[in-house]
Amino acid sequence: MLELKRALDAKGHCLLEMPSGTGKTTTLLSLIVAYMKAHPLDLTKLVYCSRTVPEIEKVMEELRKLMNYYEKEMGMEQNILGLALSSRKNLCIHPSVSKEREGKVVDGRCYSLTASFVRARHAADDATPICEFYEGFDAHGKEFPLPPGVYNLDDLKEYGQMKRWCPYFLARHTITHANIVVYSYHYLLDPKIAEVVSKEISKTSVVVFDEAHNIDNVCIDSMSVKITKRLLDKCSNSITILETTISNMKENDSKRLEKEYKRLVEGLRDATIARETDMALVNPVLPSEILEEAVPGTIRTAEHFVAFLKRVVEYIKTRLRVQHVVQESPAGFLRDIHTKVCIDRKPLRFTAERLASLIRTLEISDLTDFSPLVTVSHFATLVSTYTKGFTIIIEPFEDRAPTVSNPILYFSCLDSSIAIKPVFNRFQTVVITSGTLSPLDMYPKILDFHPVIMTSFTMTLARPCILPMIVSKGNDQVAMSSRYETREDTAVIRNYGNLLVEVAAAVPDGIVCFFTSYLYLETIVSSWYDQGIIDQLQRHKLLFIETQDAAETSLALINYIKACDNGRGAVLLSVARGKVSEGIDFDHHLGRAVLMFGIPYVYTQSRILRARLEYLRDQFQIRENDFLTFDAMRHAAQCLGRCMRGKTDYGIMVLADKRFSRADKRSKLPKWIQEHLKDTNCNLSTEECVQICKRWLRQMAQPFSREDQLGISLLTLEQLQSEEMQKKIQQRAQGVSF
Amino acid sequence: MADEDETKEYRWESGYEKTWEAIKEDDDGLLESNVADLVARAKRKRAALKATGAIQLGMMRHLFVVVDASACMFLQDLKPTRFLCVLKLLEVFVHEFFDLNPISQLGILTTKMKRSEQITVLAGNQKKHIEALQQLKDLSCEGEPSLQNSLERAMNGLKNMPAHSSREILVLFGSLTTCDPGDIQKTIKALKDNNIRVSIIGLAAEVRICREIAKKTGGTYNVLIDDHHLKELILSQVQPPAVAGSLEASLVKMGFPGGTPSVNDGTSDSSADHAPAYCLCHIDSETSSLMGPNGYNCPQCGSRYCELPVECKQCGLTLVSAPHLARSYHHLFPIKPFMERAQVPDTTHCFACAKLFLEAETNVYECENCHQIVCLDCDLFIRETLHTCPGCASDPVTAQMKTN
Repeated sequence: MLELKRALDAKGHCLLEMPSGTGKTTTLLSLIVAYMKAHPLDLTKLVYCSRTVPEIEKVMEELRKLMNYYEKEMGMEQNILGLALSSRKNLCIHPSVSKEREGKVVDGRCYSLTASFVRARHAADDATPICEFYEGFDAHGKEFPLPPGVYNLDDLKEYGQMKRWCPYFLARHTITHANIVVYSYHYLLDPKIAEVVSKEISKTSVVVFDEAHNIDNVCIDSMSVKITKRLLDKCSNSITILETTISNMKENDSKRLEKEYKRLVEGLRDATIARETDMALVNPVLPSEILEEAVPGTIRTAEHFVAFLKRVVEYIKTRLRVQHVVQESPAGFLRDIHTKVCIDRKPLRFTAERLASLIRTLEISDLTDFSPLVTVSHFATLVSTYTKGFTIIIEPFEDRAPTVSNPILYFSCLDSSIAIKPVFNRFQTVVITSGTLSPLDMYPKILDFHPVIMTSFTMTLARPCILPMIVSKGNDQVAMSSRYETREDTAVIRNYGNLLVEVAAAVPDGIVCFFTSYLYLETIVSSWYDQGIIDQLQRHKLLFIETQDAAETSLALINYIKACDNGRGAVLLSVARGKVSEGIDFDHHLGRAVLMFGIPYVYTQSRILRARLEYLRDQFQIRENDFLTFDAMRHAAQCLGRCMRGKTDYGIMVLADKRFSRADKRSKLPKWIQEHLKDTNCNLSTEECVQICKRWLRQMAQPFSREDQLGISLLTLEQLQSEEMQKKIQQRAQGVSF
Repeated sequence: MADEDETKEYRWESGYEKTWEAIKEDDDGLLESNVADLVARAKRKRAALKATGAIQLGMMRHLFVVVDASACMFLQDLKPTRFLCVLKLLEVFVHEFFDLNPISQLGILTTKMKRSEQITVLAGNQKKHIEALQQLKDLSCEGEPSLQNSLERAMNGLKNMPAHSSREILVLFGSLTTCDPGDIQKTIKALKDNNIRVSIIGLAAEVRICREIAKKTGGTYNVLIDDHHLKELILSQVQPPAVAGSLEASLVKMGFPGGTPSVNDGTSDSSADHAPAYCLCHIDSETSSLMGPNGYNCPQCGSRYCELPVECKQCGLTLVSAPHLARSYHHLFPIKPFMERAQVPDTTHCFACAKLFLEAETNVYECENCHQIVCLDCDLFIRETLHTCPGCASDPVTAQMKTN
């Protein structure tokens, strides 16, 4: 809190690592709300970005509790408006549209009911369907702001039902004057969406990125484009549709096209004003000077533009017809496209904007068909806008199946700072926080910002409730490692198997295992089957395996939880970086132990990764190895953190690889794990590990009451105010800041 | 566990035990066994808990003890094996149980190979149970246990017991897994509906389903640290539990057999009572012989027994003696917990054992009534065994008041 206050005072950015379950969210919310109350002029808004919808809901719950507390203590209604925002899919209350499952379909159908031209057509002709909720909102909602309070997604829906207003647009509209906004990362980071949703958030806001250990990857993903052959084929189809629509329109209503032409001459700025519902097609971050310019003449008329698009698509198609891997810079790509099909850089830049404008003019309401074309237009704009920090890689086939031709063009962002830069520049304080951010100094480098505060907090605990151990060898003293050379070694695989069997025999309820990749998981499980290890394992616990299929995995998860609840016990084999390792918590009995088999390095042969590493080395002076280790360790830490979700929880963390005990790996673990990782637990064999587990589990099973925590990890008001404690806090505060 | 033949494990094959790690230095650099500390603290806690408020205790208990006999009971973390250690402690437990709860009944079940087996039926004869326990020692432990099966079985046995008695199950659970045929949640619900309380003692680690069962049925769940702690835990089950909910109060018919010639209390002076007869407790065994005139006769049907308390085999009457009831009586009126207070210089020795207080001992205990000071050991002894305060008893005024 102290650190956060400093960052707020300094109006700078900060980076905080706090273990999960220690009240991270509450701390952030309560301090920032208090700050907002104390300095209403300096700080007007809190934007809280989280990753998933359940996490957003959790934040709203915390906020509600805080507000209730304020009300109870201050005895009056609080004048604070908190709001959660999610996609149309989660907020729609339209009777038929909300039944749709896929987000894109909901967006498309919503668009077809609420776009301005549809509504205009409705005014002329009653038969055109529109959304009554949006109409209701448009007619009344804008004048009456939402009363203060805390609204999560369900509350918004309820409120919308009551007033017959569309909750989605209500929320979007309310963002501008709400005090606290909670939504997903993408609303802020993805330039395509941010432009529309978050444009009007004032500069004096605090932005919090929660669970932000993967923030650089989110940034990169939001700026990268992947084009496959199928996508291009679809593009050609949509271009034909465009062509026919244009020719139709020319016959019927050529005025409209003329009008558009004129508008484009005037410049893009005006074209985008007051079109809030037409959000599906907005341009990626264009430098503002481009927006001031007029659209170049070559693509101003609709027919020319379509022909232009056709040329671009055909060009990319020919590029995909390669037999070997090609890697080139955006500049090289631009030169090539210029010589081959005579397309300049400037019109390319306007592709996305021009396409959006065209689709609006043509009054095409079903947007879902056009998403491939939109992707290509984004690609064209991005490739011509940025010459640095990106690379183009064309692979004629996948590495796994070199015989099957499946050409893919990757336009990959190498620099994660590009996407987040506007965020850092615009807002006075950006807080990046997660349970696992170590090593902290890497983030400022790769995101290219200067934090005023960078701190890793540890937990104050009444009992040692995590037990990290590094197991480096099996009972036969053969070193365990997932190194490439020893991967196929049966002795190593057998030792991993024995470790799991013995741990399964000693640890109650649920155990989660993480492997480095799906491929590795499969080979290991098949050889375990041959060695009879699976049979031994099933004597103690049931076995579940995560697969790449999401439905299968969630079924496995449900049954895993059931097995844990019933006392049968279960083992879940999953993959670091997979779905399980990122989004799912294994609290209490669901994860009494986490085993990490090997170090989860990324697939180093990938060309995109290589290009990124090279770029990082050249631009930020980060050595390849450093980055790889950093990336591997943060994923390992993320996996380990799955089992620890609060102070009353406890869990074993086993790192089964010899290499973990090296100083460069160990020191990259989060501080709260390192603190418990004693030197004596760093080079264990399987049986030593099991002995330690058994003893520790008995200790942990002893009754643990609130009184035991009192004075150590829980403080009463008197204790907090006592001088001794104050001194201790001071000491700690000085100890952690560096 | 990974080996195929795991039945016999040599000493050097079993895990390392770092016995020295159990001993830890405290802040002053003094060695103090933290286990002993934990046990002492828990003792005081329990004693304090017990004495709070007047609670109705279930004096008449029907208890099933379920012993896990699955493969994991052969592990040697308790000496000589988990199973033998548990059986040994259970013998002590059975003895203590009937000592403190003379009018209660006990039965024993085991669970292995996913099934449950009945070893003894609910009965009030401690000898039989101890014999059965001794025979169990040769049993081989194998397979997985089934909590559900054993709970169902115990429930069937307890269901028909009278409503005024407290129904309990004590599970000694070594395994970390349970192999059940159906939904255990239903069983838990049925247990709750039948007002059966399940207490579980885990021998390895906290298993969530055990905690849930204990919590839902109002029992306790504990996991041992070592064999001393296990003994504590098992023996703590000897104390009758507080009654869950309100049981109907009812009269229970009991017999107070007289009959020993040395006790001439007037109730049994007919000569038939002293005639030599076969003792009904031993009539089945081969070595039974005609008993002398000593023994207890059932006042209802006249059968002869050599020991009390017992349930009459002929007419089913519960036979007790007055001292038994008196012994149960102290459960109802436990002495008030002594106050813990810092040592003051003018008290130099313990009132009860006359031990001199050392500098290191910081806390002493004071009786609220007579204000005598005792040491920790005496405090526990008074609470666990004596059930009366020596200070109050030796003070003529308070002693007088008590009898009045």
